Amino acid sequence: MAKAFKYGIKGITGYLEPAERELLRSLFDDVVSMLEPEERANQDPLAALVGLDAEAREPSDRALRRLLPSVSKNDAAASLEFRRYTERSLRESKIGALKAASLGLDKDDLVLTPDDARHWSMALNDVRLVLAERLDIRDDEDAGHVHLMQDWSQAEDVESYLALVYNFTTWLQESLVQAMLASLETRG
Amino acid sequence: MTLSVALGPDTQESTQTGTATSTDVLSAPDIPWNLVIWNDPVNLMSYVSYVFRSYFGYSEAKANKLMLEVHKKGRSIVAHGSKEQVEQHAVAMHGYGLWATVEQATGGSGGGKGSGKGKGKRG
Repeated sequence: MAKAFKYGIKGITGYLEPAERELLRSLFDDVVSMLEPEERANQDPLAALVGLDAEAREPSDRALRRLLPSVSKNDAAASLEFRRYTERSLRESKIGALKAASLGLDKDDLVLTPDDARHWSMALNDVRLVLAERLDIRDDEDAGHVHLMQDWSQAEDVESYLALVYNFTTWLQESLVQAMLASLETRG
Repeated sequence: MTLSVALGPDTQESTQTGTATSTDVLSAPDIPWNLVIWNDPVNLMSYVSYVFRSYFGYSEAKANKLMLEVHKKGRSIVAHGSKEQVEQHAVAMHGYGLWATVEQATGGSGGGKGSGKGKGKRG
């Protein structure tokens, strides 16, 4: 069983079983592949280099739309323009955090620097956002319903399995954030 | 948002709404934009509060107050500034996975309804 993250002399530490690390690695990789921008034949390489994407559109996939939201609630044109200037680098920074967290999964014992911890918390959050869309969590009631699923022996279909995975990542992120908050207190 | 731990005693809900500023003259042209954070059932309350503290440098009390406002009212204005400033904050919030939008603080030209009341709070 994984141990909750905690903050101590060595910084933020945690422990994961090999199977749990394998699971997290595949979750991080899945979200990375969702976020990887598709390469287009006629793409301007210089524009790509500075983060511009003149072809960017609001994603049709709901989970991706939650990861890359529109910046204005009621001005679609402004949102689209903003997306063209910022979405590529947002995708890249999310991918960076997910890959950094994934790299840290090489050992059972996790010792996280403040930067590692930030990357981990972002990566776990993005994974949870995607799982929540797949589980159709729309409000607190749905979330409460999913939260009831805690027993791995009950995992009999894809949805119950996803719910268990969601609850595991929720628990892990909560323990990490508590450790990060504890480290904020200490650093003042 | 989702709650996993008991909150401290200093987190009672504020009854003021952040939008109620009765601006007589918002003369400075570089203040009229708000950064809005919207509630969702996934983000942990502790995480949202952590982001407010570490990114904006808000105190624990202020971060928790804003976080609870998001949770209970569906949205909260967590920062003001020029359009460029709040847009930069919005990208940073999206990086953290929070659902952030920008809006003009008072009704203005800009195409959309500036004060964009969070009507039709989607679930």
